Amino acid sequence: MQASRARLFKEYKEVQREKSADPDIQLVCDDSNIFKWTALIKGPSETPYEGGVFQLAFSVPEQYPLQPPQVRFLTKIFHPNVHFKTGEICLDILKNAWSPAWTLQSVCRAIIALMAHPEPDSPLNCDSGNLLRSGDVRGYQSMARMYTRLAASPKKG
Amino acid sequence: MDSEDDMMDANDVESGDDDYYSGEMEHDCYSDDGDYGEDDADYDYIADNLEEADDIVSRLQQQYYTVLKEEDIFQLQEDDILNVSAVLSISRVAATILLCYYNWSVGKVSDEWFANEEVVRKTVGLLNERVVQISNVREVICGICFESLPVDSITSAACGHPFCKECWSGYINTAINDGPGCLLLRCPDPPCQAAVGQDMINELASVEDKEKYDRYLLRSYVENNKKTKWCPAPGCENAVHFTAGGGSLDVSCLCSYSFCWNCTEEAHRPVDCGTVAKWILKNSAESENMNWILANSKPCPKCKRPIEKNHGCMHMTCTPPCKFEFCWLCLGGWSDHGERTGGFYACNRYEAAKQEGAYDEAERRREMAKNSLERYTHYYERWATNQSSRQKALSDLHQMQTVNLEKLSNIHCTPETQLKFITDAWLQIIECRRVLKWTYAYGYYLPEHEPAKRQFFEYVQGEAESGLERLHQCAEKELQQFLIAEGPSKEFHEFRTKLAGLTSVTKNYFENLVKALENGLADVDSRGACSQTTTSSKEPVASKGKNSKCKGGTSKN
Repeated sequence: MQASRARLFKEYKEVQREKSADPDIQLVCDDSNIFKWTALIKGPSETPYEGGVFQLAFSVPEQYPLQPPQVRFLTKIFHPNVHFKTGEICLDILKNAWSPAWTLQSVCRAIIALMAHPEPDSPLNCDSGNLLRSGDVRGYQSMARMYTRLAASPKKG
Repeated sequence: MDSEDDMMDANDVESGDDDYYSGEMEHDCYSDDGDYGEDDADYDYIADNLEEADDIVSRLQQQYYTVLKEEDIFQLQEDDILNVSAVLSISRVAATILLCYYNWSVGKVSDEWFANEEVVRKTVGLLNERVVQISNVREVICGICFESLPVDSITSAACGHPFCKECWSGYINTAINDGPGCLLLRCPDPPCQAAVGQDMINELASVEDKEKYDRYLLRSYVENNKKTKWCPAPGCENAVHFTAGGGSLDVSCLCSYSFCWNCTEEAHRPVDCGTVAKWILKNSAESENMNWILANSKPCPKCKRPIEKNHGCMHMTCTPPCKFEFCWLCLGGWSDHGERTGGFYACNRYEAAKQEGAYDEAERRREMAKNSLERYTHYYERWATNQSSRQKALSDLHQMQTVNLEKLSNIHCTPETQLKFITDAWLQIIECRRVLKWTYAYGYYLPEHEPAKRQFFEYVQGEAESGLERLHQCAEKELQQFLIAEGPSKEFHEFRTKLAGLTSVTKNYFENLVKALENGLADVDSRGACSQTTTSSKEPVASKGKNSKCKGGTSKN
């Protein structure tokens, strides 16, 4: 518990110090609980998620960093490896390929990379996975773009 | 003549005896008592021949497998590690990692290594030099807790990525608790593949974790090695190392459990692994229950629960909450029934419909299910009886070895070493019960459309059974009188001769039986008959390799 708190506090200070280090990621710690974090990530360019801002929720276990944090999308996203209803993410580094040397920041980077390179062979969203597996890239892109517009675009006005 | 000679006689005579289980066996066996076994030279000669005879392969089990105790496994593992370490000129730890990675195949390790050492080093994570250099600083930041710590509390794998010892312990602890994957642990730095070997585990893990790690290492040697398997007997910690594919796949652990190397079920010669798997599945599956339900019950026409009708009239009332009243025969509502449909014990509607053929299919299925269930029960009961008989024999043997042998030895003034024939008899009984048990699974799956084979099978099985009963009877009942005898008697000597004779005759018969069944009863096809003659034709096997003393066995058919 103490170790995970100390480590999270270091990550917190690092985030405060280098706020502008990665303009695509904005990590925020919960005001009252250092084990709860949220992040805003920008959809990577040249993908159907471009222009969208996606919110992630982190729930950090007490064994952190020996155990990985739990992360899910709060913003609706159409992506083969993200559950359409719950926002759960299928990513190896969040499961068995986790390493204690990863940070919340690097998890965000990995998720951005996953958005740019979906893995249709282990889909959590079968519709999206099937579109890609059947080679209908346009279909997948237009669906993803539509949801990016509907759910992930900053409200105007 | 001393006892050993007697044993030899018994052993040898039956091999020359054409018509075993002919009823005259005892007479045949022992009439020419004085002919052989008198001098040592003869004895050796026979023994040599016995060694060569292929029908006693089972006695030479040590040739194709070895039972390993825990210390043997450690020793073998150690030998392999040292071997690889010496041949590749690498450290013990590195050799262990390589062997873990290549499933403990020493050959594979050196093949891969000498084919391309660089590639192997990279895939396995044995780095030649550090990736990260820490020089001339007093404090280093740990890559896990991000604390800046004095150099002496930091350590790293061959790559040099710095982590503090506390974080290492946590990392190793998590990996060890995650399972045997910890044997191929890598540096925590994500892209780094540097292996974390046993030396680091020993330095950084808790005592408890180290024990677990050692356990996994030992288990990996057995479980990842194609030639080694754990003995499946509950509580047994031995493993069996299987060397060459000899004839038999049955192996016996030191704990006295015998199992099939191929499927690790209990030893099941002469039945093959596939049949055993089917039989075991059948015994455990619900399928037979379903058959019973199908054969003996009908579903309530309303709530569909199966109902067994064991007595009474055709007017059925389903149990609450359903309480539906119906006619057992036509399954129609009882409200439509009464005097006009034939009363309580008949149903005109049913009779009429049956004549039109409406019930045929369902009835036929019920009838078939009933027959198949009865057939299965027949075989299962006999299979299970032999199983429990074998268990009983095992405990009798134990009783014999712990109590009765000593008693007999004292009463009859005979050293226990010379009472080995009794132990041998019991061991034979145990083995025969096992074989006999499996012949029932064999019989169950014997194709229906080959009546000649079936008839022959049932004949030899019957003979085997009665032969075994004779032996069992002798070892169990006839022995009793000698346990309460006052002192040495001539009868005991005769008993010895008889029991030893029965033992070897039975052994022989069963060995032939096993062979014939493993052969798929091929002889029946070629001869197209299943008479007594066919039975005798099996005998030449018994005389095979047992020198000229067998008379006419091979020429009989």
